[in-house]
Amino acid sequence: MSTQLVQAIWGGVLFGSVYGLMALGLTLVWGAVRLLNLAHGAIFVVGAYVAYFVVSRLNLPILIALPIGVFAAAAFAYLMHLTFIRPVIGKPGFDNSTLIATVGISIAVSAAAILIFDPQYKVIPPVIAGNFTVSNVQITKQGLLVIGTSLALFGLVYLFLTYTRQGMAIRAVSQQQEAASLMSIPVVRTYGMVIAISGALAGLAGVLLSPFFFLNPNSGFNPMIQALIVTIFGGLGSVRGALVAGFVLGIFESFVEVYYGVAWAQPGVFLLIILMLILRPNGLFGIGEVRRL
Amino acid sequence: MSAQAGVAAGIARPKLDQAAAPWRRVSVYTVGVVTLVLLGLPWLLVRLDIGTYLITLLILFFVQAVVAQSWNLIMGYGGIYSFAQVALFAVGGWTSGVLVHSLGWNPFLAILFSPVVAVIAALGIGLPTLRLRGVYVVLLTLAFHELARVFAVTGPRFISGGGYGLVTVQTFQFGSAIGDQRTIYLYYLAGLIFAIATFVIWRVIHSPLGVAMTALRDSETYAVSRGINQFRVRMLLFTISAFFTGLAGGYSTHYNGGISTTIFDFPRIIDLLAMIVIGGWGTFGGPILGAGLVIGLDQYLVALGSYQTLILGLMLAGIAVFAPQGLWPVIRNAYDKYLAPEGTPPPVEAPPTAPLEGGLS
Repeated sequence: MSTQLVQAIWGGVLFGSVYGLMALGLTLVWGAVRLLNLAHGAIFVVGAYVAYFVVSRLNLPILIALPIGVFAAAAFAYLMHLTFIRPVIGKPGFDNSTLIATVGISIAVSAAAILIFDPQYKVIPPVIAGNFTVSNVQITKQGLLVIGTSLALFGLVYLFLTYTRQGMAIRAVSQQQEAASLMSIPVVRTYGMVIAISGALAGLAGVLLSPFFFLNPNSGFNPMIQALIVTIFGGLGSVRGALVAGFVLGIFESFVEVYYGVAWAQPGVFLLIILMLILRPNGLFGIGEVRRL
Repeated sequence: MSAQAGVAAGIARPKLDQAAAPWRRVSVYTVGVVTLVLLGLPWLLVRLDIGTYLITLLILFFVQAVVAQSWNLIMGYGGIYSFAQVALFAVGGWTSGVLVHSLGWNPFLAILFSPVVAVIAALGIGLPTLRLRGVYVVLLTLAFHELARVFAVTGPRFISGGGYGLVTVQTFQFGSAIGDQRTIYLYYLAGLIFAIATFVIWRVIHSPLGVAMTALRDSETYAVSRGINQFRVRMLLFTISAFFTGLAGGYSTHYNGGISTTIFDFPRIIDLLAMIVIGGWGTFGGPILGAGLVIGLDQYLVALGSYQTLILGLMLAGIAVFAPQGLWPVIRNAYDKYLAPEGTPPPVEAPPTAPLEGGLS
């Protein structure tokens, strides 16, 4: 195979899995809580910075920093739920309030990151170092780890949603909130759980991705936009959709980048999503809402 | 008109509903006094030591208030979560910037093209976007913002200026006026744009179009079944909003003598959003009040560096969640109590609610 082809496929699969991982968190929260979490990128940054802190200031290995970062991101997301989301659940204007609140939180987090650390780029060491080459393309072991982890997480989340009590509670809440609460499912607590899980996924993405793009206070923004695109492409609230759309968009972007140049990658993706929204407004796997108009 | 109706009107003149006749709630005297104060203010201010600084703050206020009002028109009143406002501002700014910088036009002529091109851009964004709902609009408009940024940074040289934007655009020149004199003229120009935008937006809000748009926001199903063309209403609003945003962008380019690509930075969006949210989402005076407050607050907070952003972010989140009505209703009630011509309470302006969508599968 030619170098270009291998490079395009490798980049596409790698970034596709990452987009999928970020989109998974967004789609879970959207599906269950009906919350468009624009602080998803901020949670990504929280996880990455906590891991950076543990590695560089406490001099601990990355394997210890990884779970700490993931836990911190989940805790932060849960805190966000307690302070800014729980008070407006069930009130009119829920989506306005939470949309603006999450924008506010995301800007506050990047400001806090500048204050605590500094705006310079940071480096987090990869969990596994080393690489090998296939037709002149460097394949990093960290990349393989990222792909493996996100595939495994998709499997885990799917099993969790399908077979566990909590997973069924999440699905019930997402389908019919009122009926779920009548079946004595603690709706608000389920919301908190979904948001914490989504936070953990974002934090994990933050720690695993930072060796590729350096870490700075705003580095969560781009992955979040990509994840939003993936979520919408795959269908809001669809776990399968997030996985498939992540890879489709990742590979598409990578091919455009390799064959037409970096400048065309983002416009190409946007063009694709606009086409998609015209042809299938609910995304690949989205359920069309019932409208009588 | 039959005689009967005339007799009936003569006996008991039916009282117009407050919401149907909003002009009755605004006294001519209040508007007159405010206009006179704004006209006379710069002449008073230039006598102060920090007067010029205060005038420039007012100019900044006028520009920002126009953008915030336009954004509020579609976001607060229309319930369309568009994040393309800064991009439209930039389109307006770049249009007249390029016309002056590359073609050597007069700024006063070039600025007339800013709103036109901004409206064309709005048509381009609106056509695929405005048929969609909620989150899709957020995404596509953010995408447009991002595309505009990339184009402004990496586009052709007469636009990108090598990645920094346009840095040496000719500013407004009023004959041979210089110094304070020129600042006052700039103030009047900004004030004129502000006055026109405010008046038009006020009329739009209280026109049938405005009522149609609030109806769509509050109950889409009912509004559509009463024969309101959703897409057309949204498109019209979006273009009106883009018109004034583009105009403000053009003014700002010739006021600052250039337009930088840092305009696309996220904090700019946050600033505008803060104005709307703090002042009062979906209210007429909210964004104006908010623009004043945020600009005033910025002058105190600017020394705090990143703490400023931190405070603004937390304030935004806090107000959105715990006081979604913002500050405007407070002022509104005071006005209706003490200054309005008729002492009847205004209709309640409820915060917008959008229908839920989606589901997990």
